[in-house]
Amino acid sequence: MTQKTILRSDELSCPSCVPKIEKALRGLPGVEKAEVRFNTGRIEVEHDPAQSDVEALVQAIRGTGYEARPSAF
Amino acid sequence: MERLSANMKAAFAHPARRRLWLTAGSGMLIAAGLIARYGFGMIGLWSGLMVAAALLAGSDIAVRAWRALKVRHLSIELLVTIAAAGALVIGEYWEAAAVTFLFMLGAWLEMRTMGQTRGALKELLDAAPVTATVLREGEPIEIPAHTVQLGETVLVKAGQRIPVDGEVTEGTAAVSEAAITGEPMPAEKAPGSRVHAGTIAENGLLRIRATNVGADTTLARIIQRVEEAQEEKAPSQRMIERFAQWYTPAIIGLAVVAFAFTQDIRLALTLLVVGCPGALVISTPVSIVAGIGRAARSGILIKGGQHLESAGRIDTIALDKTGTLTEGKPRLASVIALDGTEDKLLRLAATAEAGSDHPLGRPIVEAGRKQGPLPTPETLDEHAGMGISARIDGREVAAGNRRLMEKLGIPLGADGEAGLKRLLSAGQTPILVAVDGRLIGLLGMSDMAREGAAEAIARLREIGIRRVVMLTGDQHGAAEAIAREVGIDEVHAGLMPEDKLALIREMKAGGAHVAMVGDGINDAPALAAADTSIAMGAAGSDVAIETADIALLQDDLGKIPEAMAISRATLGNMRQNLVIALLTVAGLLAGVFSGHVHMAGGMLVHQLSVLIVIANGMRLLRVPARYRPGTSRTGRAAAGSATVAARS
Repeated sequence: MTQKTILRSDELSCPSCVPKIEKALRGLPGVEKAEVRFNTGRIEVEHDPAQSDVEALVQAIRGTGYEARPSAF
Repeated sequence: MERLSANMKAAFAHPARRRLWLTAGSGMLIAAGLIARYGFGMIGLWSGLMVAAALLAGSDIAVRAWRALKVRHLSIELLVTIAAAGALVIGEYWEAAAVTFLFMLGAWLEMRTMGQTRGALKELLDAAPVTATVLREGEPIEIPAHTVQLGETVLVKAGQRIPVDGEVTEGTAAVSEAAITGEPMPAEKAPGSRVHAGTIAENGLLRIRATNVGADTTLARIIQRVEEAQEEKAPSQRMIERFAQWYTPAIIGLAVVAFAFTQDIRLALTLLVVGCPGALVISTPVSIVAGIGRAARSGILIKGGQHLESAGRIDTIALDKTGTLTEGKPRLASVIALDGTEDKLLRLAATAEAGSDHPLGRPIVEAGRKQGPLPTPETLDEHAGMGISARIDGREVAAGNRRLMEKLGIPLGADGEAGLKRLLSAGQTPILVAVDGRLIGLLGMSDMAREGAAEAIARLREIGIRRVVMLTGDQHGAAEAIAREVGIDEVHAGLMPEDKLALIREMKAGGAHVAMVGDGINDAPALAAADTSIAMGAAGSDVAIETADIALLQDDLGKIPEAMAISRATLGNMRQNLVIALLTVAGLLAGVFSGHVHMAGGMLVHQLSVLIVIANGMRLLRVPARYRPGTSRTGRAAAGSATVAARS
């Protein structure tokens, strides 16, 4: 079962980080889709929580150098 | 040193905080190195401290470059790492330290300022309530706001945020709706009033029946709309992104070629440092995010960069009258009975109008009901833009304007003409009432101009709108009375919806950039044809939020000049940013090839240009509600057109 998780980061400062974060997220097991919106700092991920849970997404983003939090909408 | 950096990383898991410490540490080492060299002449210590500074700041950059490389991404960090490592290898310790330190410091400052630019949206997100107190089996319990069931009763105490959209069932309170509409004055809410999630009950105690929760609330929809608008790429942004995709690899290629031909390793490394078109890729998004965010703070939803651009060019504004320039709450001002009593006239008109929801009909229905319950008509026909006809107790009743009487072939007679003239000269909208083909009387309706309408129109002219036009389905007398009151000199009255559409098309064909302001329902074709459509009172109507290019959450005409001013300021801001960014790129490349710009200098100029572009964008967050064009080009254009308007 895939679910859609929305994360937000205030720390994106240059659009060049967008593909970097997207590729890091897509590299995780069970992640089907990852989209980073630079202008608003909104990160949308479709993933299987059994393989990569929300915490794993946060960790992967942190690995690229940015802090993100899950958000209700 | 590297162990220290590893320890710090463990201590500061938060990436931004960790980078701040690394930057500060590296900065202190550089300062110590400068003192060692220029204060005490200790060249050896200077070199050691510079290498340490470069390693401290560079370690984080290198780690990120490596992680990106692992997922096959050529990052800016990689370019900086290669440049700094190269500088260390050829013994340029100062350059290596300065490049890594400036890269880290710049990135941190950019992160902070970009965060502030996004701040307007954050205010909206913060307004989203987290928990709700609901009554379940008579007991109040606290649950997450998005899990409230539709129809459940929610309790809201003084000082609390209302967690759902709903209807007040019990209690009264002053509710501040600033988060949604930007209106600072609290609104009084009583049983039957609609309330929105995110607004604050300043006093009292309310029981609310939930009608929309979570992502279905007006607040959530506004947030979603604002975000979509901010993400929608303006054409210029798309072009820049394509350019940026090629720019970085092209610079790497250029560095290799330059090294092959000149054998100048410094030149090649400097090229890598300036290889990120930072200011350029950020120039447009930063203006759009700030401009749309600034507008949202005032309860103005601009639906994206493209609409910002077209709104910034508007020189002609067409406004609907009823419900836009006026309050849209007409009252019954005169009753002229020609045949029979006033009561009979009112009762028949009210019975016919009860079947329609035209705003003009409502006060007539109310007046008719005062005399007792109204019968139900046997048949009912609405004539769009004219009125209504119905069969009541076997009699054919018609209520509407002059055109309806002409259509039905009912003569007005001398008394009818005189009554019509009297109502029109009083600035009232006449409704003629006929029974079985004979005119029995007239009703005069009057509507009040909105508070602040005259001031809003004056301000539109002040900011350079050449032509302000009223388009209305209402008749001349009533339209002109309102137009005089609010200061509009061009009135087109008695229009059908398709006439409005034709007029908008005609203005556009004449080369004008036209904005149409309306209520979104009756004016749909004209709104769709205009360059920019503006809908008012959108907090209460989803249709308006969904369809208009610019949706005003409040019924406040003053927001129209404000929206125009923000759009223009944003458009100008975007152009300034593009110029700054292009000059920086050109200047840096010229400087590098002429040998005037070295690694540290290149990084400094590059980071400064990014910060200048962000700082310039942030100015948009402070565009005042009463924007004065001052001595700008639009200002002079405004002065010129004001004289034209006065003459015409």
